Amino acid sequence: MTEQKKIKPIMKKEPIDPDAPFLRIEKLNKWYGELHVLKNISLSVQKGEVVVIIGASGSGKSTLLRCVNFLEKAKDGKIYIEGKRIRNQEKQLNRVRQDLGMVFQHFNLFPHMTVIQNVMEGLVQVKGLPKDEARERALALLDQVGLNDKAEVYPSMLSGGQKQRVAIARALAMDPKIMLFDEPTSALDPELVGEVLTVMTDLAKLGMTMLVVTHEMWFAKEVADRVVFMDDGVILEEAAPEKMFSAPEHERTLEFLKQVLPPQAD
Amino acid sequence: MPMKIIPWDLGAIPSRFFLFGEAAWYTVQITALGVLLGLVIGLIVALGRLSNNKTISTFSRAYIFLIRGTPLLVQLFIVYYGLTSIVTIAPIPSAVIALGVHNGAYIAEIFRGSIQSIHYGQMEAARSLGMTRSKAMRRIILPQAFKRAVPSLGNQLIIALKDSSLASTIAVPELMLRGRQMGSSTFMYMEMFIIVGIWYLLMTSVLSYAIHRIETRLKVSDRD
Repeated sequence: MTEQKKIKPIMKKEPIDPDAPFLRIEKLNKWYGELHVLKNISLSVQKGEVVVIIGASGSGKSTLLRCVNFLEKAKDGKIYIEGKRIRNQEKQLNRVRQDLGMVFQHFNLFPHMTVIQNVMEGLVQVKGLPKDEARERALALLDQVGLNDKAEVYPSMLSGGQKQRVAIARALAMDPKIMLFDEPTSALDPELVGEVLTVMTDLAKLGMTMLVVTHEMWFAKEVADRVVFMDDGVILEEAAPEKMFSAPEHERTLEFLKQVLPPQAD
Repeated sequence: MPMKIIPWDLGAIPSRFFLFGEAAWYTVQITALGVLLGLVIGLIVALGRLSNNKTISTFSRAYIFLIRGTPLLVQLFIVYYGLTSIVTIAPIPSAVIALGVHNGAYIAEIFRGSIQSIHYGQMEAARSLGMTRSKAMRRIILPQAFKRAVPSLGNQLIIALKDSSLASTIAVPELMLRGRQMGSSTFMYMEMFIIVGIWYLLMTSVLSYAIHRIETRLKVSDRD
């Protein structure tokens, strides 16, 4: 039976809970030297849910996001994707990361490649798609983010907003099950924020599971299913946006929201 | 007897100039092969230095320490004379090996610098797509690093070209040796070494121009 040999051996199976949240973070701790940046963080994201993390700079929200796909290694704690524990093992990570689309604050496009090559890179080099197929898919994705006319230019010719949309298309190309956004609009000129948020909103409407770190309170209010407020390395509270923005439980949350929200005009 | 204002027969230079053509060709060849070998060694040692493997990075560090800290002439003599008890290497291969080993250490540092100058976000973006570390290095980091290394590599190439004159000490019939031979057979040392100097200047000029062209062409994609 040579047929059977071709089937890849399945990794040792761990019992998978079918009702498990899509992403579960359990008691994560992270130190930078003496600095305890994540203190026993636990957080779950359901399939199709949009969770927005807010908080002051230095509160640990970006670090948390980066720990999810192991760009930062947490000291202890567990991360589960679809009920399956993710360990700090290169092989597993290379596979799992394809399911975790990441969008960075500073875009991190590959400057030596054209826009379409950026989007195709993962498809060809990681997923092993033939070039013409990858190209077709990349063009469709560029269309989705409204940039199909920029396919052949280099990233340096794009505005910040356009760069970030390409970065989103590049992440989407891997057909991820969740998208992680690490302050995707923080490096943009104010007038370019809207186009990126629009793409993200559309993505949410399509049912994409999203974990977003942002300072855009508008996005948290309008698009999030749940808002998480982080302060000093802990999740101080999490609630539906209506509740979070109208009646937060903690004094510290109120204080933060007062600072970031424009004063009510009445 | 009338005093000659200039004690040398500079008029002899043009007619003797092309007697150095073949020697110049040797200079070009040992430089080219030496630098090529140096590029290979340099890349391996640079990646070695950046490796997470302690043994490999220590070895690479030691290589740079030893080679960069000793004169090329010593290295040349070790290859050509020193190794004779084990293996005899002809002058030209000896020169190529010594130049390659020597330049490898410098080129390793050039590569290491340019690899480290690539923003860590590039590696993170590649890894977040599911690329392995080595693939990310090959596809994303090195192409950008090579580009940044070009000016320094060009500089190193010019240094190597001039350093190749040391091969005259182990009887490689390159420019410098030719100059010495022509000098001693005609006693026109000044004239002959001026010719040698002009040949080097010509070759370094061509290299400078070529490097400049390459740099300009590589600038296409990054304007930010």
